[in-house]
Amino acid sequence: MDIVIASVGFGLVTASVLAIASVAFTMQFGITDVLNLSFGGVMIASAFIAYVVNNAGVNIWIGVLVAGVAGAIISYLINRFVLTPFKRRNTSPIGMVIVTLALGLILENLVLAVAGPNNVSYAMNSGPTLAVGAFELTALQIGMIALSLIIAGAIHALLRLTRLGKAMRATSCNAGLARASGIRTERVIASTWLITGALCGISGAAFAMNSGSFGSSSAELFLVVIIASVFVGGVGQPYGAMLGALLLGLVTEVSAAFITPDYKEVIAFIILLGVMALRPQGLIARATV
Amino acid sequence: MSSGTIFYITTLLVYGGVDVVACLGLSLQFGTAGITNFGFIIYQAAGAYVAAVLSLPRDTANGGFQTYVLGLHLAFPLPWIGGAVAGGLLAIPAGLVVRRSLRPDFAGVSMLVTAVILNTVVDNFVPLFNGAAGVALVPSPLGNLFNPQSLKWQWMYSGIALFMCIVVLLVIRLITESPYGRSLRAMREDETAAKAVGKNTDRMRMTVLITGGAVAGLSGAILVGFINLWAPSAWTYPETIVLIAAVIIGGRGNHYGAILGAALVPLGFLEATRFIPAFGPAGLVPALEWIVTGLLILVFLWFRPQGVIPERRHRLARSLPAQAAAAVSGAAELATGPARGQ
Amino acid sequence: MDSEPQRPKPILIAEAVAAGYGGAPVITDVSLQVAAGEVVSVVGPNGSGKSTLLKSLVGVIRVLSGRVALGDRDITNWATEDVARAGVGYVPQVDDVFGPLTVRENLEMGGYLLAPREVAGRVERVVSVFPALGRLLGRRAEKLSGGERKMVAMGRVLMLQPQLFVLDEPTANLAPAIAHTLLHDQIARLASTGAGVLLVEQRARSALEISSWTYVMGGGQCRTHGRSADLSGRADFVESFLGGAPAHA
Repeated sequence: MDIVIASVGFGLVTASVLAIASVAFTMQFGITDVLNLSFGGVMIASAFIAYVVNNAGVNIWIGVLVAGVAGAIISYLINRFVLTPFKRRNTSPIGMVIVTLALGLILENLVLAVAGPNNVSYAMNSGPTLAVGAFELTALQIGMIALSLIIAGAIHALLRLTRLGKAMRATSCNAGLARASGIRTERVIASTWLITGALCGISGAAFAMNSGSFGSSSAELFLVVIIASVFVGGVGQPYGAMLGALLLGLVTEVSAAFITPDYKEVIAFIILLGVMALRPQGLIARATV
Repeated sequence: MSSGTIFYITTLLVYGGVDVVACLGLSLQFGTAGITNFGFIIYQAAGAYVAAVLSLPRDTANGGFQTYVLGLHLAFPLPWIGGAVAGGLLAIPAGLVVRRSLRPDFAGVSMLVTAVILNTVVDNFVPLFNGAAGVALVPSPLGNLFNPQSLKWQWMYSGIALFMCIVVLLVIRLITESPYGRSLRAMREDETAAKAVGKNTDRMRMTVLITGGAVAGLSGAILVGFINLWAPSAWTYPETIVLIAAVIIGGRGNHYGAILGAALVPLGFLEATRFIPAFGPAGLVPALEWIVTGLLILVFLWFRPQGVIPERRHRLARSLPAQAAAAVSGAAELATGPARGQ
Repeated sequence: MDSEPQRPKPILIAEAVAAGYGGAPVITDVSLQVAAGEVVSVVGPNGSGKSTLLKSLVGVIRVLSGRVALGDRDITNWATEDVARAGVGYVPQVDDVFGPLTVRENLEMGGYLLAPREVAGRVERVVSVFPALGRLLGRRAEKLSGGERKMVAMGRVLMLQPQLFVLDEPTANLAPAIAHTLLHDQIARLASTGAGVLLVEQRARSALEISSWTYVMGGGQCRTHGRSADLSGRADFVESFLGGAPAHA
């Protein structure tokens, strides 16, 4: 029984990291119409920048903030100088995917060129182990769960209450009509890349904290789990992505405890196939963005 | 020529042959039919593994240091045929996924995800193909005729590889230069219109995925017969990006473009540089190679989307960015067509 | 072209416009004008280029030749959002509301360009023009009936109090009674705000009844135009476009 509770605890931590990343990925698709396969590359590049800062003696939570800023800047620049120009040329969605795939390859290997092939770890103090209900979690893990709850709340407030957030939802559901209402959708899209880029960077650092050590290609498999939770939740649906992340975070960690950690991503893939077979539009079907 | 030089040349010839065969398969899918298969490398991998376990003896042989299925010890060319069949069969589930996908970019990404997951499974599930270590000591085809270490065998094998390039080129040309090839291009340019004139695009797509898969499987079989080992690290997902880069750079929809792309990117740029001395810390040279590969894709898509050798049919030869616009105008023509007659 | 009878000073002028979707132009050499407070309708068979004309005027598709002016400003090939900012409220034929957003949020999006403190007042004003919207403000637009949706769509553009409304087949897919109310009651209210209304309409008879001027499209060109009352009396026009005997004025 202990092993179940412990793995559910790990699952909540993984789900937290996954939720931050999946919400960002799904918003990028929903609002800007790009399936961004450079997401893993941006995550790792941001996590590595946080490592450089952390290595210089800065606290890891400030490192997480630095990763957020780095992710925002990288994503903004990618959109400004690569994605927007290609979109203006009416590049097809699949053409955009090839572009982001190439960008991801470039980013990942920039990290490899600078950081070298060996994995690195953050200097961080996990803090005391605390009992939260039935779970025993470290202060660091509780901090990660709290971070993702704060981000989920902030995204909810952004989308429901702010002018920018409503414009994002409007652009997501009908960009042409948004423009006809006078909304400069290119600016909304640029803001989307800044915000989701920050989340991508934060999730990169959180992913690195959760995995203990990381290297240039560590996010490749994690991106598969992100894509799975995004599609399980319904592509373009932030709330669906949170739900998908919770489901996949729990299932992958519990399965890791009972079967073997080697097949975590395979389990995620099987869940994805199951959902696609039964409900191709995802768990949250209608657009609720 | 020293024997070292000859080994170098024959090695490049075989690698080049493998890349050309693979790029021709990808050119059929991506160039002619417009199917972006981000999982293309798994078909090459399937061909290599199946050819390996068909030609290897039982896994208890060789001291039993590796574990794998089959081990049928078949004679050449049966393992190659098996490899091609395996590549083709593996394409059937992909075809079903593509059919169910809501959008072409979803289909492309699902094939990429599948490729990553399959690599993980083979990497971890040792009984299948010996896990991360991979299968080794794969017998060289016709190794009973000549000693595989001899120059004679090297020349013979590069000859066979080049011969297979020609065979594959002829077969693929037969497909793409026929009325069926025209239908494939019509599907690529405007699927709605192709369906409207009665083309079964689902079946066409499945046929192309199977044919391309079989060609990729054959390329894997040729490769594994030469390097005698095959492991998950040889077919990670970026290997597909290299082949896509080759086809984009060479020229989509033109087989000679695909051949040129194979000679330029995987062979000329990646394989040839493996023989120059490395500089900098470990991993730097491959990292730089990948960065340049990514940049080449972006630069070509932006400045020369039609590639070095553009597709010949001018009316149909549209760049990828123009395809969306073409689809819109096609739909508009359909919508407004009848009205013009009034 | 017919000789030009007296018309009020136009706010929208299109001169010899050609436009299309990338290939050959779908419409060629179309000229029209709309004045403030005036309802102008464009009628014609399916595929005659009516929607294409509207889309080219509001910047959704490119004008290949010719010119579009709003007041004194040349707005040819302006981006859609800039055309909206200049004072044109465009309601497309389909996808005319933000489905997942509530009615109030739809109106807020219509008023995106307003200062935030003005928005609530404008929502109230829109509700005073379309009172039926008042009780629907909290509902999601996709849950509404066709007639209610169209009211939301028109309310959305009304938020900015544009100089010109451009409505693409507002009655498509509406039940006849609702279509009748929309054309005879709601569109008249839009015009009563002092703005011009440019209306593409399938129901040619109704369009003639509510508009002061009508353009007739066919095969991507403007076949004829004139005072709506005059057109309904012309036997050739009625026969080919309305299918029946001339209406009694």
